[in-house]
Amino acid sequence: MARRRQAPQPGPQQPRIIQVPPLDVSAPRSMRRAGRGTVLLLLAFVLALVYLVYVLVTRSAFYMAKSGQTGYGKIVDRSGDVLFDGTQPMTNYEKGHFADVGNLIGDTTGQMSNTVAAKNIELLANYSFLYGKNSGTVTLKTTISHKATRACYNALGKKNGTVTAYNWKTGEMLVCMSKPCVDTALGYDNLDKMPEGSLLCKAFSPMVPGSTQKVSTLIAAYEQNGIDSVNAVEFSCEGSWVNATGGKINCHKKKGHGRQTLNEAFANSCNPYFAQLVQSRMMPLSAIIETYTNMGYSVNGAKADALTMDKLVIPAASTTLTNKDEFETQWGCLGQGKTLVSPYQLMLWQGAVANSTGVAVQPYILASHTDIENRVTVLGTTQKTKRFFSQEAAKGVHEVMTDNAQKHYNVSLGKYTCGVKSGTAQVEENGKSYENSLLTGFCMDEDCPVAFCVVIEERVSTDMSTAQLTKVLLDALRKEGISAKKTAQ
Amino acid sequence: MDFTELFEKYPYLREATTAFVVIFADICALMILIAAARERRRGDRLWAREGRGYMLASGATFYPLGAAEILIGRHPAADIRFDDNEISRFHALLTLSNGQWTIEDIGAQNGIFVNGRRVTQPRILHQNDLIQIGRRRLTVVRGTGKGVA
Amino acid sequence: MSGSRTGPVSHPFLLLLVLIAHTAMLVLVMMSFGINVEVFKLACIVLMFDFIGAIALQFVAQEACTVDTVLMLVLGMSTIYQSCFGGLEFAWKHFVFGIAAFFGCQISYVLVRNPYRAEKLKPLWYILFFILVGMIFFLTGTRGIWIDLGFITIQPSEFVKPVFVLICASSIRTQLRKKELWGIHFVPDNLMLLFCTALIAGLQWYSRDLGSLPTFAAAAGCALLLRFSYLREKISVRLMLCMGVGVVFVCIMAWKLAPSYVQDRLHVDIWSDMSGSGYQQVKALTAIAEGGWFGKGAGNGTLVSVAASRTDIIFSTICEEWGLFTAIMTVVLVLFLPASILTVPPRSYYHSGLAICVSAMFVMQMTLNIFGSCNLIPFTGVTIPFISQGGSSMLASGIMAGFLKAAQAPVLTGRSAAQLQRGGGR
Repeated sequence: MARRRQAPQPGPQQPRIIQVPPLDVSAPRSMRRAGRGTVLLLLAFVLALVYLVYVLVTRSAFYMAKSGQTGYGKIVDRSGDVLFDGTQPMTNYEKGHFADVGNLIGDTTGQMSNTVAAKNIELLANYSFLYGKNSGTVTLKTTISHKATRACYNALGKKNGTVTAYNWKTGEMLVCMSKPCVDTALGYDNLDKMPEGSLLCKAFSPMVPGSTQKVSTLIAAYEQNGIDSVNAVEFSCEGSWVNATGGKINCHKKKGHGRQTLNEAFANSCNPYFAQLVQSRMMPLSAIIETYTNMGYSVNGAKADALTMDKLVIPAASTTLTNKDEFETQWGCLGQGKTLVSPYQLMLWQGAVANSTGVAVQPYILASHTDIENRVTVLGTTQKTKRFFSQEAAKGVHEVMTDNAQKHYNVSLGKYTCGVKSGTAQVEENGKSYENSLLTGFCMDEDCPVAFCVVIEERVSTDMSTAQLTKVLLDALRKEGISAKKTAQ
Repeated sequence: MDFTELFEKYPYLREATTAFVVIFADICALMILIAAARERRRGDRLWAREGRGYMLASGATFYPLGAAEILIGRHPAADIRFDDNEISRFHALLTLSNGQWTIEDIGAQNGIFVNGRRVTQPRILHQNDLIQIGRRRLTVVRGTGKGVA
Repeated sequence: MSGSRTGPVSHPFLLLLVLIAHTAMLVLVMMSFGINVEVFKLACIVLMFDFIGAIALQFVAQEACTVDTVLMLVLGMSTIYQSCFGGLEFAWKHFVFGIAAFFGCQISYVLVRNPYRAEKLKPLWYILFFILVGMIFFLTGTRGIWIDLGFITIQPSEFVKPVFVLICASSIRTQLRKKELWGIHFVPDNLMLLFCTALIAGLQWYSRDLGSLPTFAAAAGCALLLRFSYLREKISVRLMLCMGVGVVFVCIMAWKLAPSYVQDRLHVDIWSDMSGSGYQQVKALTAIAEGGWFGKGAGNGTLVSVAASRTDIIFSTICEEWGLFTAIMTVVLVLFLPASILTVPPRSYYHSGLAICVSAMFVMQMTLNIFGSCNLIPFTGVTIPFISQGGSSMLASGIMAGFLKAAQAPVLTGRSAAQLQRGGGR
């Protein structure tokens, strides 16, 4: 309705003579719609402009860093040791200073994409929207312990391998070492002479997990049947076992282990025992698939989200499970064949076992960022992951693994209260077959709350054992004093 | 004359000056918009002159004639709307042209009467004309106030 | 300062502000280049233009001064910008087209000031529209969008814009003129508008330049919305939902059916192809980052070496040299043009249609240009009115600004009672 105005007392006898109100020239309502439309249009545009300014200001460091228009700052480890330096030639540092962290930290050349520097390049730019470029130096502090990384790197000697460890209480990533490793100080001129895999942090690459996979299988068994009934199951091992479809599962001990309980079989890493467990009525295939899927496996090509840690991407584990009576599926549940898991993910599950909850603390690698105006932003916070498995299963596995460590790794691991599972992965590659040795587990000591996974490639019996390497790792971490959380500054 | 040396000598002098000048220019631009807002009153006055200050009165209710075309009818979109069954949905159209308001029939079933005569062709309205639409009676009145000639 | 009550109250004051704003910018230019002949030349020409413009406008009876003032402010600023990019050289061509746009504004103002007459001339607009569309179709050679006349190249697709706006606007009287065919009531004018929109869309598809299609679509959409709402009390939630679903459906279909060269544009990740298809945008974004809030100083930019630095990615070029703050201010200044109709509302339906369509076109063009070059939406080659280089775009924008001015100072003559009687009311 049009706007109305009340006139003062029109005389009823004289309808034609009206007291006229002040003139109203307001446009009719239908006309004002056009104006309202314009207001909406302009308002939407102005709001979009505000958003644009926000995007430009917050992303400008990324633009500068990505297009190489500005200098870069430093990446340092948890105690301030430099891991990457954009302010001066890195050859100024002692020889080999970056040789153990090159493929994790990376650099700004763009040669490697899945590295701390490449993924967080905007945090490395010596730039601020207000002060412009190169008006100061930024520092990106990580949670990595360079000393422990170096200790593991040196301990490996001529061997290649991977060591990954994080604080399962706080989430700080402590060691993420992959050898062979590029030395970022030397550049990429002799790229073709570098050993294969130098530019790749193998802690993030899925590999054959070997018997460490039995942890996952055991979790599935616990989730389906409960701790007590699984622990009571006994199977015998005669050195090899023929399954329902005629497939033959061999044990690494040719004479066989005889009749054994779960704890014994777990410690013995007995393949026939676990194959019989998988084939038994206790483990429906759907239950195994469900547990694996919850743990983050891509089962039978189903989509599984890749893991991420501060923008670093870790491909999800994968396996193929079709018929639990068949060799392939059983072999997959034993960690051979088509099963692939990254050391990072093995470590992450151990984080969920260590705290006996089935929910891990999310690892993070970026501790804090100091911008060119020396303002410090804390980046790393302790957060939980999604639930990987049930609390009951976590408790059960915790017990079995601790038992295993106490009985069999007492000497090699020394005084540490640990839970571990070893594994031997049979790898066939380019016609060459060799065995990788793995050890995954956790340490419960107050001053060393670490979940870890170590891999020694092509290990033969005369080499250093994974347990010895783990002891090197734990010693170095304890010396570094990792229990005190020091993220900021 | 060169300012380069001066700017090198005092860091952020250039930025500060730029900021000052840009903000100054901004204020000028803003003032232009504020000053332009004053045009509104002038626009109203111009319209009052153009439209002779005519309004329609129905009893104690007054309807402003604020656009060049005013639609009278029962339709919800009509500028002057009467919810009355004797009035067609689109009944009459008032048009301003050459400083004169005309009324025309745009499909009224019961017709329009101005001063008692049925409108068959567009008809010019004068002050105090009585328009009859259905049972409604509308009088052409002239608003008072500044700008009304 | 104040003339008669209905005269140009604030005009001299406004023009003084324009002079001050331009002087402030010229001070910045002087700070960058020192005091030399070129700076002096630029200052003289820009300030003289303001001065002569101010005097000239005093002699012409002015009913709507906001549009003129903002236009002079924007044109002067863009001349200063264009003269300083990458080094000082007076942008003669830009300046001349700026003046032409200013005159274009006045001419179109006079032409469409009378909404009755402007609408009566609609057949003429249709003819013009079809001539321009035909020119694009037949004369632009190998699917290009320019016509080369030797000494000058014109872009007919720019001139289609003001003509299309004239077609978009409509009055109540036209909307009441319904026809019936096979039991369906329809308004011929609305049908014509739909046909013209479809024609434009088809032509853009044919000439493989879908960049300015959203501009036309926005104007047509606003016009149709306005036409619907003439005859409706309010736009109901259901209608809104239906239209929203329709728009989403059309967008999805367009997305799916878009030709491959459009698909490529939609999916480009500029940071993974920094030297290829993402080159311009990467350079543009980096330039904005380098410029910061207050820029590197006039003439110190490096973006001039990139293609289309004065047209498609001009926002970034201004950001680099003058800073994000100034660039945003410039954009907001251009917004003052459509915003001016909020101070003095249009008084006829035809004019309000013109105003909202022009607003939609200006806003859409700026959206496509600015957000496209900043990689928030697909990058298309669209210009910012009055700021980007390009004669055709400048003139067309000037003509459209004239529509806004006309809407603020209408002349309502020509539809006398006698004429109406001849034309018939029904």
